[in-house]
Amino acid sequence: MGRWLLLFVLGVIAILMVSPLILTVFTSFKPTTELVNPPWAPPVSLTFEHYVRVWTEAGFSRYFFNTLVISTVDAVVMIVIASLAAYAMVFMEFRGKLVLRVLFLIGLMIPVTAIVLPLFQIVRGFGLVNAHLGVIFADLALAVSIFVFMFSSYFVGVPKELHDAARIDGATEFQIYRRVVMPIATPAVVTTALLEFLWSWNDLLLRLLLLTRDEMRTLSVGLLNFQGTMTRDVTGLSSGTVIMAIPVVALFLFFQRHFVRGMTAGAVK
Amino acid sequence: MFLDPESRWAQRLNLFLFLLPALTIYIVFAIYPTISVVEYSFTDWDGISPERSFVGLANYERLFTDKIFWAAFRNTFVWSAVIIVINVGLGLVIAAMLARVWKARLLMQTCIVLPVVISPMAVATIWRWMYQPTGVINQVLEGVGLGGLATPWLGSPDAVLYALAVAHSWSTIGLSVVIFLAGLQAVDENLYEAAHVDGANAFQAFRHVTLPALRPVTAVVFILTLTQSFKVFDIVWATTQGGPVRFSEILSTYMYKRGALENQYGYGSAIGVALLVIVSLATVIYMQIQSKEDR
Repeated sequence: MGRWLLLFVLGVIAILMVSPLILTVFTSFKPTTELVNPPWAPPVSLTFEHYVRVWTEAGFSRYFFNTLVISTVDAVVMIVIASLAAYAMVFMEFRGKLVLRVLFLIGLMIPVTAIVLPLFQIVRGFGLVNAHLGVIFADLALAVSIFVFMFSSYFVGVPKELHDAARIDGATEFQIYRRVVMPIATPAVVTTALLEFLWSWNDLLLRLLLLTRDEMRTLSVGLLNFQGTMTRDVTGLSSGTVIMAIPVVALFLFFQRHFVRGMTAGAVK
Repeated sequence: MFLDPESRWAQRLNLFLFLLPALTIYIVFAIYPTISVVEYSFTDWDGISPERSFVGLANYERLFTDKIFWAAFRNTFVWSAVIIVINVGLGLVIAAMLARVWKARLLMQTCIVLPVVISPMAVATIWRWMYQPTGVINQVLEGVGLGGLATPWLGSPDAVLYALAVAHSWSTIGLSVVIFLAGLQAVDENLYEAAHVDGANAFQAFRHVTLPALRPVTAVVFILTLTQSFKVFDIVWATTQGGPVRFSEILSTYMYKRGALENQYGYGSAIGVALLVIVSLATVIYMQIQSKEDR
C-alpha cells in the first residue's frame, strides 16, 4: 500500500473515531433554533445556555462534585492501601504468603456484575447505602488486587542492597516504605491514580445500586436519570455528556503515555 | 520505640499494619460477596425478609428451563463474538497501519484511543442519539444513497444487539490497538527487511511476518475482549435495558432485573454464578497465556 494511501485511510479512521464526540460538542453549543441543521454542521452562533441549564437546574453541579469526591478519595486511598500491601508481599517474610497471593489473584477474576447483589446487601448491612463511603469501599475492594500486583512488580525491581542498607541504618519498615521504596515506584503511583480515578469516574452499575437519593448521585446516575426524564432534550443531554467527559479527556490528553501503559497492564479489569 | 524493631512481635505488628487496610476492605467487599452469591443461589431469598430457606439446586433447574435466560445467554455470546471480530480484527489492522505510518502518528493514535476513557454512560447517551430514526447514522446513510439500510437501530429486533456491540467496540477498540502496537514494537525489524528483499509486498509481509509474530498477543486481546464483553452492563442498561422485548437482553441485565428490581435474590444470584464461572474460566486462560509469554 502506498504510504500516502495508508496515511489517508488512517486519517479517515481517526476522524470517524472522534466524530461522535465532536458532534456531541457541536450539539451542546447549538441554540435550539439550529437543531434543524444536520448534526455535522458546526453551531453558527455559540450558546452556553444548555450548560448553564444542566449545571444549575438539572443538578449536574452536585453530581459533578459528588463524582469528584468519590473518584479522588478512591485514587488516593488506593495508592496507600495497595502499595502498603504490596510492600508486605514483597519485602516481608511470613507464613501463608502464597495463600495471600492466590487470594489476591482471585480478585482479578471476579466480575463486578456477578456479585453486585450480595455486595448491595453487605453495604446495606453497614448502613452505607446512599453514603459515598459505601461506593468507595466497593470500588476499592473490586480493584485492589490489580494495583497490589502493579506495585509488587515495581517493588521487585528495588535492589535488595538498598533495602538492607536502610535497615542497617536503623530505619523502620515504614520509613523504608516512605523514603526508599515509594520514590522508586512513582510511575506505579501515577498509573494507579489515573486508572482508579477513571474507573471510579465512569462506573454506573455500583452507583445505580448504592446511591438512590438524588443529592448523593454521581454524574453517571445523574445522566441516566436525565436521559430517562428528558429523552428529547438533545442539547441538554449533549452538554451533560460533555461535562462528564471533559475531566477524563483532559487527564488522558495530559497523561496519555501513563494511561496507555496502565491500561495495557491493568487490562484484566 | 518501646519495641525492638528486630523482635518477632514488632515484625508481626508491622506485617499486620501493612496488610490490614487492603485485606480488610478486599475480604469484606469482594471475597465475601463472591462466596455469598454462591450461597444465595441455593436459597429462595427475596433480598428483604429476614428468612430464607435452602432450596438446593432449584434455582439452577429453573435456569435450565428458563427461555429468557437462554436468550440472554445466546445474546451475550453473539454480542461478544461481534465485539471480538471488531476489536481483534479491526484492532490489529489499525495497529499494523499505525506502526507503519511516519507522519502525525501520535495525533491519529490519540484520536483512536481517546474514546477508551469515555464513560459507558456517556457512550450510551451519544450513540442513543446517533442511532435515533432521524439520527446522524440514518442521515449519513441516506446522504450516500444507502437510505435502504436506514432503520431505527435500537428499536429493531434484528439490529439492536449489533448496533450496541458497535457502540461498545467504538469505546474499547483503542485498548486492543494499544496492546497490538506494543506487540508490534517487539517484532524483529530484520524479518521485514528479509521479506522485502525476497520481493514480498506489504500485504504479504503482514500475512507472513506480522501475523505469526503477533499470535500470542492476539490470544491475549481475544480473551481480554471476551471477558470484558461478558461483564458489560452499563451501556446496555443505559440504552435499551435489554429491549426491545428481550432482543438485547444479556446475562448482566437479566440478573439485574430478576435480582435487584424483582427482588428474586436467589434466582438472580444463580445467574450471577453463571456469569462468574464463565468469566473466571476465561480469565484463568488469559493469565495462563500471559505467564507463558513472560517466561
